[in-house]
Amino acid sequence: MGKKAQSTEHKVDSAHLISEQQSTEGDQEYLQQRRDSLAARLRAGNREAAAELVDLYYGQIYLFFRRLGHSRQVSEDLTQESFLLAWYHIAQLRDGKALNSWLYRIAGNASKLYWRKHPSGEPASIEGLDVADKKEAESDKVERHEQLDRLKDAVARLSMKLRQVVVLHYMQHLTIAEAAEAAGIREGTFKSRLNRALKVLRKHLT
Amino acid sequence: MTEEKLKELLNELTDATAEPVRPGLNEDIKHQIPQPFMPHRGGWDTINIIIDLRVSKLAAAAVITLTTILLANFFGSRNSTGTDIYQDGKLLIEYIFRGGEQTHRSDVLAGLSKLQEALAQQGREVVYYDNKPDTEDMYAVVMYRKLPDGRYRVIFGDLTTKTVSADTLIMLQTRMLQKKTK
Repeated sequence: MGKKAQSTEHKVDSAHLISEQQSTEGDQEYLQQRRDSLAARLRAGNREAAAELVDLYYGQIYLFFRRLGHSRQVSEDLTQESFLLAWYHIAQLRDGKALNSWLYRIAGNASKLYWRKHPSGEPASIEGLDVADKKEAESDKVERHEQLDRLKDAVARLSMKLRQVVVLHYMQHLTIAEAAEAAGIREGTFKSRLNRALKVLRKHLT
Repeated sequence: MTEEKLKELLNELTDATAEPVRPGLNEDIKHQIPQPFMPHRGGWDTINIIIDLRVSKLAAAAVITLTTILLANFFGSRNSTGTDIYQDGKLLIEYIFRGGEQTHRSDVLAGLSKLQEALAQQGREVVYYDNKPDTEDMYAVVMYRKLPDGRYRVIFGDLTTKTVSADTLIMLQTRMLQKKTK
């Protein structure tokens, strides 16, 4: 891919999500109102709202698949499939509060189905992390990068259930309640899986 | 390593794994938004098809459709509650007939009898009470089948479908017998 093409690529990061978590109460209220309005318009069959949903979530959902270990091509396919399923199940969307968990649940199910259909396919590690390319490659940062590299491998080695909880909560920044709903399990079960996953990751890193 | 440090690293990993998305992916997805974009709900499809095709007030269509929806719910291929099925059926009948639903509910019940015969021939264990139940009676058992978990899926006289325990089914059957002997 040429430099020009690369420059037009959409760099997706979770900055807006992190800022969402750190935003003020007023911002939260605004975001909630926006989600409520979007959910209401979607349920009413508003096509513009559907396009807005795509713009708001396609990057997050794509990265969700990548972080679950799908290849680039499969992640793209599954992202498209998730939105198709979302259109089909739009009547199941309750309100704006449930928007995140509803969409991530659809995506999670699409991923599960993919692995079931392709049992021989090994989950890929996350390719986006390239320590050598980082600018802050000074000696005092090297250890940090090594740790990140080891963490990436450790996440990739987690079982799919544990990997999903880590990705949903820590990497996609869903709240415990949203992530539990997205995973289709109770909050207690989710927290217990999360603790187990953290224990495994800690063991790998020490 | 402390938990805090690990969480901090996971945060960093999140940023480090934020890779570029292929340009145009969002537009590809948008092209797949159905036109018209209509929320799909089980039960509504049938009504929409009838409205779209401008089907005349054909009693048979309503009865067949209602029976099909009811049986789909009964055999578990439809994810809805008994109340939904009744509401869907009621809406369909109201649309087509603008009233007189009582008559057509009886037709559906009569249709169930024929279907039970066909199902029995296929080896499906379904019990049907051919005793003309009160179509308003929400406790009158019309048809039931056993589920793998030992409970029973039951169609009642008012065309609602529920899953009940064996004890509840015995209670309902006793009630029916008592009502009959009165």
